[in-house]
Amino acid sequence: MVRIYFAGIDLGSTMTKIVIIDNDEQILAYLVHHTGAEHRHLANRVMEEGLEKASLSIDDISFVMATGYGRINVPFSDHQVTELSCHARGIASFFPNVHLAIDIGGQDAKGLKIREGKLLDFVMSDKCAAGTGRFLEVIAATLGLEVEDLGDISLRSTQKASVSSICTVFAQQEVVNHLSGGIPLEDVVAGLHDAIAGRTARMVRRLKVEPDVVFTGGVAKNIGVVRALEENLGCPVLVPEEPLLSGALGAALLGKELTLKALAAGETIQTGKRRLDKATFFE
Amino acid sequence: MAEPSKGLLRAQEIYQDRSHRAIELREQGKKIMGYLCIYPVLEMMTALDIVPYRILGDMREPITRADSYMPAVNCPFLRSCLDLGLKGKYSFLDGIVTTHICDVGSSLSGIWNYTVRTPFSHHIDTPHTLHETSLQQEKGLLQDYRKALENFTGQKMTTEKLKEAIRVHNEQRVLVRGLYELKKQDPPLISGVETIQVIKAIQSLPVDEGNELIREVISEVKERSDGPPHKSARLLVWGSILDDTAFMEMIEGLDANVVMDDTCVGSRAYFDDVELTDDPLDGLSRHYLMDIKCPRTFRTRDYNDVRKDYMTDLGVRFSYLRDYARDWKADGVILESVRYCDTHGYDVPSVRDYLDSIGIPSIYLEHDYTEGALAPFRTRVQGFLEIIG
Repeated sequence: MVRIYFAGIDLGSTMTKIVIIDNDEQILAYLVHHTGAEHRHLANRVMEEGLEKASLSIDDISFVMATGYGRINVPFSDHQVTELSCHARGIASFFPNVHLAIDIGGQDAKGLKIREGKLLDFVMSDKCAAGTGRFLEVIAATLGLEVEDLGDISLRSTQKASVSSICTVFAQQEVVNHLSGGIPLEDVVAGLHDAIAGRTARMVRRLKVEPDVVFTGGVAKNIGVVRALEENLGCPVLVPEEPLLSGALGAALLGKELTLKALAAGETIQTGKRRLDKATFFE
Repeated sequence: MAEPSKGLLRAQEIYQDRSHRAIELREQGKKIMGYLCIYPVLEMMTALDIVPYRILGDMREPITRADSYMPAVNCPFLRSCLDLGLKGKYSFLDGIVTTHICDVGSSLSGIWNYTVRTPFSHHIDTPHTLHETSLQQEKGLLQDYRKALENFTGQKMTTEKLKEAIRVHNEQRVLVRGLYELKKQDPPLISGVETIQVIKAIQSLPVDEGNELIREVISEVKERSDGPPHKSARLLVWGSILDDTAFMEMIEGLDANVVMDDTCVGSRAYFDDVELTDDPLDGLSRHYLMDIKCPRTFRTRDYNDVRKDYMTDLGVRFSYLRDYARDWKADGVILESVRYCDTHGYDVPSVRDYLDSIGIPSIYLEHDYTEGALAPFRTRVQGFLEIIG
């Protein structure tokens, strides 16, 4: 069979992710870049890099599916689907028995109820960035730490501090008060992770917590939050090797399914123009 | 001189500048009566040739003045209404009629009286339950209201005048239902956005002018070739006030048509007629207390039955939504509420339980009554459509 290729691009609030697969669902290339204000305009560059890595040109791609916060602003995409459906599809490809997925990204937190790879229901955090990746970035900056180091630091804790507020601004004050009160850094960080996990657990309980529980998104890279979630949910939490890719992979897989379904029905696939234009977020 | 616009265009014009006609009528000597919510009995205004004019908020106008009188944890719609009043946007009103729609709405009527100071005001303390005694109380309150309006105008509200007013308002109800009939087709002949424009327009006009407008819209829409396109999903929207098209635009900008609603700038005030009883106040009190299905009135199967059964109660309270979904072929329901609207908020779990029990998917969205903050809901609604699609 002729090999055909599919791309999924997940333009998140913090990170832009691209996955390119073939019709056997083999991942040929993937990339994770900071979205940033400038990179939003340069989603096309990220796509170009991904194509280069896969040794393909844009004309080789049968279908480009966009997802994520910026999904409607990817000019070279053929279709767009929400990150809710894409995460569900992507996560189910890693963990076929997933029943509950939790994704905490830069801007929001989501809970997804999944059965046999299909999204059945979802919950999302409110518009406030409390308890998301952005929250951890702000707190890390307050503490003069790299966000990537928070997880390991928290594992050294012997008695986590109580952080009652999940509001980014108030939590910052609480952290400073704890430190000035002599509470060790690792206990404060562990307390923050517990606050995030507690808030997330309360939210996803509305969907019923049933294993397998899978955790994705940038915050899933933080081992401290993973442990705190396990404690709050009372069950093991699985994390894929690359937790940022589930949305982009899901997008590529859904693009593949759409294409193959159309081909099987003898229909023409509706694709957009194949020129790599700048993403127009703000225009 | 240019021909006056008609039909949908006229509805859009009134939607965008809704006080224009009321101010014009006031200059011609008419009395304009502001009313809050859909419970002040409009027939009694019409009977004395008073123009009813619904007080609404403006989700595109930041609330800057009302915060001095109402805390930010109060319903933003009602705060917006007061804010517009304080900014003089309702200065053309001769009076205001309020009811006990909810505690905040009731408090607002008092705050309005000593801050906005509209010349005439009357408050109807509408009961919240359907006991027989509640009905007697509502009738008594309407007798007081009748006297208040008679004193205000210096005219007698005769039974004949009141019966004629009921007839014209019932005609409006029939016309609105006729308009909603046109939404049963696929694609619907009129969109959710246009429906809000029409209903908001008729709530800003004297009833006979409103009736004329709906007639024009119906005949225009029946003939149109530029109606809403076919979409994958047909949705029913239930909830608190939507007096701006932004929320509907967000939904209808996706792969869905809003084919039916149960909201108060929508179908809610128009789906039952007032019975023409010998004493018109009997029919009016029954209609306004019992027929209008707003969560502000608590409806259970039987107050005297102590063996409460939740699912049976849900059927009594919400089976009309099943009928709407069936008759308008809705694939799912969007439940929406303005943040801090306890009245609708308390009903949401029950409505969802009922819809779950009859297999109709639903999603609940709580919004801030600001146009700019609607973007995050796009993902939720699109995700919902992907699930039900």
